[in-house]
Amino acid sequence: MSRLSAAVAGTAVLALTITGCGAGADSSTGSEANADRTDIIVAHTAEPVNLDFTTTDGAAIPQALMENVYESLVRIDQDGEIQPALATEWELSDDRLTYTFTLDENATFSNGEPVTADDVKFSYERVGSDDWTNALGAKMDVVDSIAAPDDQTVEITLANPSNTWLFNLASLVGAVFHPDGVDDLANTAVGSGPYEVEEFTRGQQIVFTKRADYAGATPGELDTVTFRYFDDAVAASNALKSGQIDVIGNLQTPELTSDFEADDTKQVAEGTTNGEVVLSMNNADGIFADQTAREAVLHGIDEQAVLDTAWGGHGTMIGSMVPPTDPYYEDLTDVWPHDVEKAKELVEEAGIEGEEFTFTVPSRPYAQASAEMVAAQLEEIGLKPDIVTQEFPAVWLDETMTNHDYDMSVINHVEARDLLTVFGEGYYTGYDSSGIEEIAAAADEGTEEEYVEGMKEVARTITDDAAAGFLYLFPNLVVADATVTGLPVNAVSDSFQIYDLAWS
Amino acid sequence: MRALASRLLQFVLTVWAATVAVFALMQILPGNAAQVAAGMSATAEDVARIEQEFGLDRPLIVQYGDWVTGMLQGDFGTSYVTDAPITPLVLNSIQVTLILVVSAMVLALLIAVPLGTLAALLRGRSLGAVLSGLSQVGVAVPNFLAAILLVMVFSLGLGWFPSSGWQAPIFGIGGFLSHLILPVFSLALVQGAILTRYVRSAVLEIMREDYLRTARAKGRTSASALAVHGLRNAAIPVVTVAGVQLATLLIGAVVIEQVFVLPGMGSELVRAVENRDLLAVQAIVMVLVFLVLALNLIIDLLYTLLDPRVRNAA
Amino acid sequence: MTTPAPPDSTASTGAPAADVPRTRSGRATELTFVVGLVLVGIVVVLALVSFVWTPHPPTQPDAAGRLEGMSAAHPFGTDRYGRDTLTWIMLGARVTLLVGIVAVGIAMLIGVPLGVLAGMTRARWLSGLIMRGNDLLLAFPALLLAIVFSAVFGPGTGPAMAALGIAAIPAFARVARSGTLQIMGREYIAAARTANRTPLQIAIQHVVPNIAGLIIVQASVTFALSVLAEAGLSFLGLGTQPPTPSWGRMLQESQQFLGSRPELAIWPGLFIAIAVLGFNLLGDGLRDRLDPTLRGRS
Repeated sequence: MSRLSAAVAGTAVLALTITGCGAGADSSTGSEANADRTDIIVAHTAEPVNLDFTTTDGAAIPQALMENVYESLVRIDQDGEIQPALATEWELSDDRLTYTFTLDENATFSNGEPVTADDVKFSYERVGSDDWTNALGAKMDVVDSIAAPDDQTVEITLANPSNTWLFNLASLVGAVFHPDGVDDLANTAVGSGPYEVEEFTRGQQIVFTKRADYAGATPGELDTVTFRYFDDAVAASNALKSGQIDVIGNLQTPELTSDFEADDTKQVAEGTTNGEVVLSMNNADGIFADQTAREAVLHGIDEQAVLDTAWGGHGTMIGSMVPPTDPYYEDLTDVWPHDVEKAKELVEEAGIEGEEFTFTVPSRPYAQASAEMVAAQLEEIGLKPDIVTQEFPAVWLDETMTNHDYDMSVINHVEARDLLTVFGEGYYTGYDSSGIEEIAAAADEGTEEEYVEGMKEVARTITDDAAAGFLYLFPNLVVADATVTGLPVNAVSDSFQIYDLAWS
Repeated sequence: MRALASRLLQFVLTVWAATVAVFALMQILPGNAAQVAAGMSATAEDVARIEQEFGLDRPLIVQYGDWVTGMLQGDFGTSYVTDAPITPLVLNSIQVTLILVVSAMVLALLIAVPLGTLAALLRGRSLGAVLSGLSQVGVAVPNFLAAILLVMVFSLGLGWFPSSGWQAPIFGIGGFLSHLILPVFSLALVQGAILTRYVRSAVLEIMREDYLRTARAKGRTSASALAVHGLRNAAIPVVTVAGVQLATLLIGAVVIEQVFVLPGMGSELVRAVENRDLLAVQAIVMVLVFLVLALNLIIDLLYTLLDPRVRNAA
Repeated sequence: MTTPAPPDSTASTGAPAADVPRTRSGRATELTFVVGLVLVGIVVVLALVSFVWTPHPPTQPDAAGRLEGMSAAHPFGTDRYGRDTLTWIMLGARVTLLVGIVAVGIAMLIGVPLGVLAGMTRARWLSGLIMRGNDLLLAFPALLLAIVFSAVFGPGTGPAMAALGIAAIPAFARVARSGTLQIMGREYIAAARTANRTPLQIAIQHVVPNIAGLIIVQASVTFALSVLAEAGLSFLGLGTQPPTPSWGRMLQESQQFLGSRPELAIWPGLFIAIAVLGFNLLGDGLRDRLDPTLRGRS
């Protein structure tokens, strides 16, 4: 045997005896016995590739870690309101530039150290450094200076007044780290939250255990919470049906909702998300640079039919880039009614009948299903979409998002209050944002009323310009064993909160 | 002995050629590994820094040398994407896949040997024809269809077994077996059909051999004659084919691993490809290729050992 | 070769049943061949007819008529978009056949010349080199190559076909080589040599026609394997991409409807099985028809 084979064989034998990829104990115990359980297993779809959201994009890492393991000074509750987290209270100066936060004096990190103002200063200044490469860090650009006059007080001064900053602070950019805990963020998480990561098996599961020494605002209920990752949505549904898992964080097989609703041992809750499923069109280049062409598309698509076929009718019509939970929401679904005749006229007016264009579709179930329906409706009004499936995230991000090499695409924009990003300068939509920039800036600096009115105008302008199609608001279909309580039904923050989960 | 040494030398050379082939294959993957690792928002300096950090700016021959030296010491390096060592991932997934496919192959043989023998003995009768026909149909059924149906009936319907997941044996043998049983059956039913046809053919071949005719002429029934003389000889081609099929299954089980959410080599490979985790792809491909080559070597050696005609000729 | 290859060269690709039919009786052989021909015929006819006629337009969604059961208007029912399943099965037959034809084509066009060369050459190093290259390629099973190709070129029918074809080269090369070796000693080869024919002429005029039967059998078996592999890849999302209809993906997408509309899974599953069974039976039947020495033995 060669040295290579000897080495591999030897280590393989060793692995058989010492390692295991423990999927934990089987939990198919039936509902009666559940009341005494101190653990729960939750299924999610997208798995974190590592534990470091400061350098790695994607929703999976903050979903697992924010609020559960890492905390910010504030958090967003289920109603979308800002609530205290690490900061017990805060004050805003009269010039609306300086926030003074008072930290919870009982807060500690999982390594036993207390959470101090210096840690907050360290963490927030790190967002602007080279160590932080996640593009979302831009949310902290408005911060001018951070001061820590004493252990319990943090003063953060903004460059200009901002209505959005405190809200943004509740997202992952506000996570507070311990200076000794940032060396190996990809593999170890040292946070101040109610849980800590006990075990992280890549591609399979994360096991959280409750911290006994947590004395903050959101203490955990159950001792052990496991996130198990299912690439295959059907496998997750099957696992819930056969009792191997207790909760599906967001059901990706919407057609099975009625099955679960009919089952007395299960509960289904349809909550809201910040995910607008957008039919994006390249405003800057190609066939859809012409507004008439975009208007033809918007008249041509029947959003309700798309939702009905693609996602079993679960979801909400929005008509703009704003979910109903945001303060500046207004119903704009009537701006571009489904009108095939009108659409055909506009197609003729724009002179694009029969012209082929590239419709890039990320390889996600909702996107592929929506795209098939949209493409069929567009063919009906005389357009020729050429569907190109792109692997998500790698290929879609590269080709469509970064290189703008597309005419039409469909994607769920999941971040909260992201209309200014998605229709901002240089973004892949190619939208001419000159018309909304000033209104948005004034709104951010103005009073709360001015903010709401200003942002409404921004959203309306985007819809009026036919900048993109807004197919539907992605639903949060939480399915669980009937005796689970404390489910985070609305996915309105970065996080899937586990601290309230319990058995009744 | 000379033949054996030569075969081993040939094995080592092929493994070496495979390392070159796999390494070269990874170099033509589009996208710079450092760019992928740095993420969408990275600047050119970020990429350069990461290239340096991972040693990607060195000459290819040096990188290749490092990679092979690392593997000889059982170290596949650290992933650019997950920032974690790749070796534990590879070892865990080998373990899962080997347990899965070896169990499936054993079960397939347990199905195929009696059925195939029966089909051969009953040749010309209707039951034999039915058995042959069934095996033909079994070969044509995609294993993922078998998996979906088994889950529907035995997991969702009867609730006997979990529908997915993996539990390592050290966490309890009961849970281990109950998680294993449906995926193993999904693979074994189709493999069993394939092997049944080989067993039937091998047994028929043996039945024509002279010594069996003699035995039968002496008044023994076909069955007992076969039991006494034939099975050992029939085993040679069957074992060979089972070995070859086993090599194919190492990656062929990927669909079953995905359906049952098993963390085997196929699943890990697909995941690594999705994450563009190039070093992990490289490691898993190399390990799979090595296992296939090693299996082929074992088959050849077994064949030489089992078949006296070949042994004498060599 | 210092040690013998496994007795059955085609087995190395995982090909089922390579030497099974040798033992069939003449009548059974005939039946095998006819059934195989009929099943393959069904798939071919479906694919050909789909170019000129389908029961419904393929991309005509009907939100009101979705997930319907079998009816006169929709003999196989409708899918989640209200599209006609029979239409999609017909269109899926095209991809199935395309994958098989291209994969077999690649494997044959590269594998056969290599095998013939290895069998004809007197330079031992050359035949050794070809066969060692073959062994190396054998270590990359079809699905492994296909997954890696999908990473290199993105998932799609093209990369899948290329991977399946390349992975099948060794099987063709081995069959071609062993067939060539068998006939190299024949008189007509020696006669051709004395007549100063070039090796290329000999190969084309004498060798290839004489091993064609073996190649066709191997092609049929490889075809069946490619159909299965493509279905598996599409099931994984690494094969044929939407909106092109593919049986494997139809099966994958039908999973969440198994409880309510099982026929959405049954039809594509059935047709995959028909295609694979058809080509396997055809291969078995052809083997016996084209090779009288084998038939004589049974």
